[in-house]
Amino acid sequence: MQVFKTYLKILKKHLHVASIYVIAFLLTGFAMTFMDDSASLFEQTRLKICVLDLDNTPESRALCDLISKQHDIREMPADEDAMLDALYYERINYALTIGKGYAEKLAAGETDGLFENRFLHDSYSTAYMEQFLNEYVCTVRAYLAGGAASADAAAQACASFETETAVRVVKSGPENTSDMSLAAALFFRYLPYLFISVLMNVLCPVLHAVNKKDIRFRTDCSGVRPLRYTAAIFGGTGVFVAGIWVIFVAAAIPMNGGLYHGTAWIAVLNSLVFTLFSASVTLLVSGFDPPSNLVNMITQMISLGMCFICGVFVDQNMLGENVLAAARFLPAYWYIRVNRMMEGSDAFDGALALRAIAIEAAFAAVLALLTVLVRKSRSRSASA
Amino acid sequence: MNNPVVKIENLVKRYGDLVALDHFSLEIREGEIFGLLGPNGSGKTTTINCLLSLLSYDKGDIAVFGQKMTPSSYDIKKEIGVIMQNVAVFDELNVYENIDYFCGLYIRDKAQRRQYVDEAVQFVGLEDFLKFRPKKLSGGLLRRLNIACGIAHKPKLIILDEPTVAVDPQSRNRILEGIQTLNRNGATVIYTSHYMEEVEQICTRIAIMDKGRKIAEGTKDELKRMIRNTETVTIEVLELDEAVRAEIAALPHVYETVFDGKTLTVCCSGGKHNLIRILGVLQAHAVSFGRVYSELPTLNDVFLEITGTALRDKEE
Repeated sequence: MQVFKTYLKILKKHLHVASIYVIAFLLTGFAMTFMDDSASLFEQTRLKICVLDLDNTPESRALCDLISKQHDIREMPADEDAMLDALYYERINYALTIGKGYAEKLAAGETDGLFENRFLHDSYSTAYMEQFLNEYVCTVRAYLAGGAASADAAAQACASFETETAVRVVKSGPENTSDMSLAAALFFRYLPYLFISVLMNVLCPVLHAVNKKDIRFRTDCSGVRPLRYTAAIFGGTGVFVAGIWVIFVAAAIPMNGGLYHGTAWIAVLNSLVFTLFSASVTLLVSGFDPPSNLVNMITQMISLGMCFICGVFVDQNMLGENVLAAARFLPAYWYIRVNRMMEGSDAFDGALALRAIAIEAAFAAVLALLTVLVRKSRSRSASA
Repeated sequence: MNNPVVKIENLVKRYGDLVALDHFSLEIREGEIFGLLGPNGSGKTTTINCLLSLLSYDKGDIAVFGQKMTPSSYDIKKEIGVIMQNVAVFDELNVYENIDYFCGLYIRDKAQRRQYVDEAVQFVGLEDFLKFRPKKLSGGLLRRLNIACGIAHKPKLIILDEPTVAVDPQSRNRILEGIQTLNRNGATVIYTSHYMEEVEQICTRIAIMDKGRKIAEGTKDELKRMIRNTETVTIEVLELDEAVRAEIAALPHVYETVFDGKTLTVCCSGGKHNLIRILGVLQAHAVSFGRVYSELPTLNDVFLEITGTALRDKEE
């Protein structure tokens, strides 16, 4: 009990590292949840446009009104240098000059020389505005062809452009049949990085302290049985690992919109098994007793490296086949495979999910076994 | 006084081809401060590690408190306190927490432990540093903390392996006085060091080790009697005729004279008035001389005479 209590006491002195990760991750998670809804809504792009109306007819004014409703109008002097400067410094995205005789040319069905434009070549805003103007002129011509007077045609074209269509972004792919909200699934996606980072950064220094050669030596001289000492260290480690897992699984409940149910428990089980894997990695790394200044480097190498390859930060769809083939030998890949089912990116397949979780568990077991071997060989060489 | 607390018989420990302990035997009796003296690499720490069953050994028997010592002799281990050369404390815990932790490995009862920890703190004089983390302590205070962690549970056998390495003279004296106090309070002490002055100062019996073997054992007087030299007289002399030197060499009890052009060294074996006789010869021949020293043999002389090398030379 003395060893267990002291382990927790030492752990407490390193908790500030964990709290930084926990707070930052929870804040990001909750922010993502609130952003989630708005991200799926469509909003029309508004450009910063300077309009000079040299024609000043009802037709040209109608176009000016339409542009002012759909974009942000910037007042500019009718000076070419000033316009080019404004374009260069991105105070405006597009400078449109409605030429003299615009209404007449439009009524005559001419399309050339209606506008004099200044813009940045090959920019998205230029293409967008050019398309808008072409579409507008085509619409006016359609009304003119239908027998409307040019002023009426312009007014009707404007009215048709003002009609808004409600757009909602819908994900392509299979239907999301999981019982977990997208926000919670996204939150779960980043847990592998967090678990490895927190556990390694916090537990490695603590394990280093309790397994320091001189401390172990002194403890071995006492009446404490080595097995009991090791059990106390494992107990302390287990308390911390369980605590971190519970915090994040509980934090995701509001994001999920309520308690987990149905297939969402698969995601919870997935995270638990990955937490065990992270604990195994931590114990294995600490078995080699790396210097404290190297721990953070090793942590970043393992957590970032694995998470990038396995599709935690970049969607697995975006990764190359060779990368994914290599990633199969890492547990984070299988974690993400399960999580993709929760996100709705892949169709839910219970058997595949359980197989992936079993693979993660196998990784954890192999590493735990390796840890025991490493520790045994080190203690044997110390007492030989 | 006669019960053997530690009995080591024919201990052999090999590291590959290197024989670290070569049929090493030892008996330490209750109430002794037993010194293990020897240069670095002579096998002192290996002996201690084997004694504590922290190292396996190739041959021999070790008994502590009359029972065979094995890695699972937890009841025996409870009665032993160990203070090693390296400070073994937690950097994350303060002085009190460290002593409490190591005491807690032996004493489960909270109230008793609190009392023991307070006594240990008082014993090493760390009352004003209870809340200090080890990194904030000076080298001497850190050593005292190390000792407190080893003795807080009131062991019957205390093993100190070079506890004064890199310690200032003031802290060293305090540590040595502390060891004597622990011994007076009933603990048997095994003290290893390569500082012969320390061993001479506090140990009631001494074993001198070299190359994994015990080369001599006894009280300091017994050890000194083992060698020929009983007194070394050193005299600053600028000029000395060979005839005068021969006359000194012919004096009773003188067995060796060395003159290096500045100093005359005369080694004597026995006799009570060697210095007076030597000075009498010099005065009779009107030889002018400067400072005169007369030194009794040290453990270094014992080591030198037995092995042909000085302890300090070995350190280098």
